[in-house]
Amino acid sequence: MTRVTSFLGENWTLLSPALFGFVGIYFLLPQGRRSRPLPGALLGAAALLLAGWLLVAAVGPLPESILFYAFAGLAILGGGLMISQKNPVHAALSFALIVLASCGIFLLNAAPFLMAATIIVYAGAIVVTFLFVIMLAQQAGISEADQRSREQFLASLAGFVLIGGLLCVLHRTYQNNDLDSAMATLRQVADANTPAEIKEIMGDPKKMGDPKKIRRLAMMEELKKQLPQEHTEIDNLEGDWARMDVPALTSRARRLLSSHVRVGSLVPTEKHLSKNSGVAPNDPDAWKTTSSGALTERLPARNVAALGKSLFSDYLIPVELAGMLLLVATIGAIAIAGRRQEALR
Amino acid sequence: MFSDPRYYLWLIPALPLLAAAVIGVLGKAILRDRSHWLCIGGAIGACILSFMTLSAVSGLEGDRIDGHRCIRIYYTWFHAGNVDIPFSLQADGLTAVMLVTVTFIGSLIAIYSVGYMHGDPGFPRFFAAVSLFLASMTLLVLANNFIVLFAAWEGVGLCSYLLVGFWYAKPSAADAARKAFLVTRLGDVGLFLGILLIWVNFGYSLEYDVVFERARSFDNHGLLVVICLLLFSGAVGKSAQFPLHVWLPDAMEGPSPVSALIHAATMVTAGVYLVARCTPLFGQAPEAQLVVACIAAGTALLAALIALTQSDLKRVLAYSTISQLGYMFLALGSGTMDHRLAAVAVTAAIFHLFTHAFFKALLFLGAGSVMHAMGGIIDMRRFSGLRRLLPVTHWTFLCGAGALAGIPLLSGFWSKDEILAVTKQAGQPGSFASGIYLLLFFIGVATAGLTGFYTFRAYFLTFWGEEKVPHEAGHHAHESPPVMTLPLCVLAVGAVGAGLVFGPTGWFGGFLEEHWVNPEFPRRLLSDRAEHAHDYLVMLFSSIVALTGVGAAYWMYVRQPALADSLARAWTGLYELSRNKFYLDDFFYSMIVKPLTVLALLARVVDQYIVDGLVDLVGQVPAFIGYAVRPVQNGLVQFYALLMALGVGGFFLAILLR
Amino acid sequence: MTPVGLQSYLVLGAILFGLGAIGFLARRNLILMFLSAEMMVQGVAVNLLAFSRFRGNLGGQVLTLFMITVAACEAAIALALILMLYRRRKSLDVSLWQELREPDQDAVIDEEPLPLPPMEEPSPRLTPAGPAPQKREEEVSHV
Repeated sequence: MTRVTSFLGENWTLLSPALFGFVGIYFLLPQGRRSRPLPGALLGAAALLLAGWLLVAAVGPLPESILFYAFAGLAILGGGLMISQKNPVHAALSFALIVLASCGIFLLNAAPFLMAATIIVYAGAIVVTFLFVIMLAQQAGISEADQRSREQFLASLAGFVLIGGLLCVLHRTYQNNDLDSAMATLRQVADANTPAEIKEIMGDPKKMGDPKKIRRLAMMEELKKQLPQEHTEIDNLEGDWARMDVPALTSRARRLLSSHVRVGSLVPTEKHLSKNSGVAPNDPDAWKTTSSGALTERLPARNVAALGKSLFSDYLIPVELAGMLLLVATIGAIAIAGRRQEALR
Repeated sequence: MFSDPRYYLWLIPALPLLAAAVIGVLGKAILRDRSHWLCIGGAIGACILSFMTLSAVSGLEGDRIDGHRCIRIYYTWFHAGNVDIPFSLQADGLTAVMLVTVTFIGSLIAIYSVGYMHGDPGFPRFFAAVSLFLASMTLLVLANNFIVLFAAWEGVGLCSYLLVGFWYAKPSAADAARKAFLVTRLGDVGLFLGILLIWVNFGYSLEYDVVFERARSFDNHGLLVVICLLLFSGAVGKSAQFPLHVWLPDAMEGPSPVSALIHAATMVTAGVYLVARCTPLFGQAPEAQLVVACIAAGTALLAALIALTQSDLKRVLAYSTISQLGYMFLALGSGTMDHRLAAVAVTAAIFHLFTHAFFKALLFLGAGSVMHAMGGIIDMRRFSGLRRLLPVTHWTFLCGAGALAGIPLLSGFWSKDEILAVTKQAGQPGSFASGIYLLLFFIGVATAGLTGFYTFRAYFLTFWGEEKVPHEAGHHAHESPPVMTLPLCVLAVGAVGAGLVFGPTGWFGGFLEEHWVNPEFPRRLLSDRAEHAHDYLVMLFSSIVALTGVGAAYWMYVRQPALADSLARAWTGLYELSRNKFYLDDFFYSMIVKPLTVLALLARVVDQYIVDGLVDLVGQVPAFIGYAVRPVQNGLVQFYALLMALGVGGFFLAILLR
Repeated sequence: MTPVGLQSYLVLGAILFGLGAIGFLARRNLILMFLSAEMMVQGVAVNLLAFSRFRGNLGGQVLTLFMITVAACEAAIALALILMLYRRRKSLDVSLWQELREPDQDAVIDEEPLPLPPMEEPSPRLTPAGPAPQKREEEVSHV
C-alpha cells in the first residue's frame, strides 16, 4: 500500500493530466442518449493544457518549441475528435488532421522525405476511406452503432492505464539529472585539449580543498553506479587526471562515453551498418567530433539521398521484401473484394 | 538322439501347445470340424514321447547322464536381482509315470471327444483348450523348479476354468467356472507363499535338487512344517480336499470328457503329484504329514457320505473322485519318517493315482456316454434299466465301478489295499501319533465300504430296473458311436488289468523306487519293501467291507427298491444332511460369500457416493470456473481486444509498482 | 541541448498511441476502428522518428518507411475485408459479427433503441406567385 501511495506521490504530475484525459474521453465517447460532450470537451481541454505544462520539456519561446506545441496539440486534438465523432465522415477528417499534424512533427525531427511520403500515402488512403464511408455508411444517415460505444468506461480505463504506464516509464527513464551532469562533465573532459581545461573542469590534483572536487567525485560516483562493469577504467581515469596525462584522459573519456551508449541501448548487432545509415550506436570514433550534448547534427543534411543510400545498401533485402508484400497485398485485396457475384449470392 | 530324453523332453509340452496355438488361431475360420486332428495328433505324439521317456528313464542307471534322472536347462526364463529362474525340465521315475498317465488318458479322451463334442459350435475351442491343458499338465510334471511348476499349475487352472465354463452361455456353467477358479486360487495363494518361503529360507534357489538337499540340513523345524502346510494348501485347492472341495462337484457343468480328463484323471491329481514330489520336505515334518492324513481321511469319508444320496450320476462320480483323492493324500500323509514307510507310502499313492486315472476316466466317459444317449440328462431318477440299450457302456461302466469299489483282483483293489496297509503300518503302536493313524485306518476301511455302496447304487440305478428313458432322449436312444466306445473299451481293459499286472508283481512300486524314491530321498526314509508290500489281513478285511457295500447296494436298489425310500424316511435328518452336502456350500455361502457381498455393497456405496462424489466435485471445480469465465467469450472482437489492453496495462502496473 | 527534448516527442507518441487504443476499443464502426489503428501507428512513427533524430541514425526513418509500406498493405486488405463484411450484413457495425461466442451465451444486443432522428419539418407549401396556370385535363390528378 505504501508502495502505491509513494508511487502516486512521485508521479502525480504525470497521472493528473492522464486522469483528466481519461474522464474527458469517457464523457466524449458517443453514448447514445447519455452523451455529454460539453463536460467532456472541457475536461479534455484541461488535460491537454495540463499535459503541455507538466509533461513537455521544452525550453523558451524558440521556433522548435512553438512548432512542437502547435503540432502536438493539433495531433492530440485530432485524436480526441476522431474517436468522439458520431459521424464517420467527420472522424475521417479528424484523422486527416492527425496525419498532417504528425507530419509537422516528422519535419521537426528532420525527416522531410517521410513527411512527404506519409502525406501522400495516407492522403490516398484517406481519400479511399472517404469514398467508402460515403458509399457505405452515409446512405442511411448516421447508424445506431456510431452513436454508441462498446464498453466506454473500460476502454477509457485501458487507454488511461496504457498512457499512464508509458508516461511513468518515460519519466523514470528520463529522471537522470545526475547522470546527465556526469555525462556532460565527461563530455567536456573528452573534448578538452590542455591541462588547464582539465583543471577547470575537474580541479587541480595538486591543490587541496578545490571546490571542483565535489563535482569530480559526484561524476565518478555516478559513473561507477551507471557503468559497474567499467570500474577499473573509471579508477584509471582518476589516475590519468592525477598524473595530468591529457591524451590518455581524453581517449579514456571517449571510450567511457561510447560504453555508456552501449549500456543504454539494445545489444548492438554483430553486423555493423555502413556509414550510409548514420552513426553506429557503438562507434566510439563518432563521439570525437561532438562538442555538445545534442547529436542532431549527425543526421545527414541531404535526407532523401541519405535515406536512399541507406535503403539500398543496408536494407536492400527488406526493401525487396516490402515490395513483395505490396504485391501480395494488392492481389489479396483484389481477391477478397473482387468476388462481387459470389458475395451477393 | 532318441536314446537321450534330454533332446526331446521339451517336445512333450510343445506338441500340444503348438496344436493349441494353431487351433486357436485357425480353428474357427479354417479347421472347424477338423480341429480334432491336430489335438489328437499332438496328444498321441506327446504320448509316444512319454513312453520313450519312460523307457529311457527305466534304462537310466546311477552313473549315466545325470544319474537317476535327466535334466535339461533350456534357457534363463527370467532374471531379476539375485533371482535367476531357468526354464528347465527334468524327467525321473515319477515324472515319467505321470507323463504316461496324462498323455495316454488324454489321447483316449481326445479321441472320445470327437464323438461326444460332434456338432457343438465350440468344437475348435474345445480342442484348443484340451491341447493347452495337455501342454500345461505335462509341463507341470516336467518342471524342474517351483516357478515353472507354479506357472504350469496356474496354466492347468486356467484350462480348467475355460473348459468348465465351456458352455458359458449357461449361467450355472459360468458360475461353476468362476467358483472353480476362485476356490482353487485360495489354495494357490498358500502355494505361492510356500514357494516364497522356500526361496527365502533355502538359499534363494527354487531348483528341486537344491531345495531338497538344503531341506535335509534345515534346522528350523517349525518353519519347515509351515512351508509344508502352505504347499499342501495349494494341493488342497487343486485336488479338492476339505474344505476347498466344493468346486469339484460344480465343475461337472463342463463337458463329460473334461470331467474325465481334468476333474478325475489328471489335473486334480496335480496336488498329489506336488506333495509326492515334495516328499523330502514332508518327510522332515511328520506334523504336517499328520495334518495331511487327517484332512485326507476326513475328506474321503465326507465325500463318500455325500455321494451316498446324490441323484446326479456325474456328481456321484465327482464326490467319489474327492474321496479317492483323499485316499491318495492319506497314503502320502502316512509315510512318516518315524515309520520308515515313506517309500511304500508314496508309491502306493502314485499307484492309486495311476489306477484311479483309468477307472475314473472310464466311469466319467461312461457317464458321458449315458448322457449322450439320454439327450443331456444325467439325473439318475429320470432313467433306469439301460443295460440293454447301451450294452458296451454298461459293461465298461461295470468294469470301472468294480475297480472303484475295490472288487478283488480289479485295479482299485490293489492300490487301495496298499494305502490301507500303509495307514495300518503307520498306526502301529509306539510310533508317532499311532492312535490317530489307527483311527484313520478304520475311517479308510469304512470309506471303502461306502465306496462300494455308492458306486454300485449309481450302477444299479442307471443300468438295472425297468427300462426308462427321459423324453429328451427322443426315440432314438442308442449306443454311442465307435469313436466313443473304443476308448471306453481300452480304459476298461486298463481298469481291470492295470492293478493285476502292476500291483501283485510289484513292478510299479519297484520302478518308482528304483528310479525316483531311492536316489531321491535320504536313505533313512527307506525301509524294506517286502515287509510292508502286501498285508493279506487288510486285503481280506477291506474286500469283505467293500463287497458288503456292493451287496447292500444290490439289496436296496435291485431286490427291495422300496427299502431305500423307507430308509431315507426313517433317517430324514441324516439323509437330508448327506443330500445337502452337509450344508457346506450353504455354510460357505452364509459365512464367506454373504459377508463379502455385504462388504462389496458397502464398498460400492462408498465408491459411488463418496469417492465418486469427490471425483465429481473435483471435476465440478474447473466446470464451475469455466462457467464463471464463459461470458468472457462473447464473440465481440473489441471485448477481446479490451481484455488484451487491460492485461498489458496490468503488466505495466506490475512493473512500475515493483 | 535542443529546445524540445526527446522525452516530449515520446510523450506525444504515447498519447497518440493511447488515444488510438481507446478508439479501437470503444468505437463500433469498422472503418473507425481501422482509422484508430492507423492512429496508433502514427504514435509509433513519431516515436521512431524522434529516436532517429536524437540518435543521429537513419534506422528509425527506414523503419518508419517500412511501417508506412505495411500500413498501405494493411489498408488495402482491411478495406477489402470491410467491403466484404458490409456486403454480408449491410452494416459497418462490428458488433454484428459475434457468432464466435460460446454456444450457450446470449448475443450482446443494445438495450434500448435510440430515438429516431427528428424528422425535418416539411417545408410550408407556398401559393405560387403570379397568375394561376391554365389547368389542362391531364394535369388534374397531379397531387
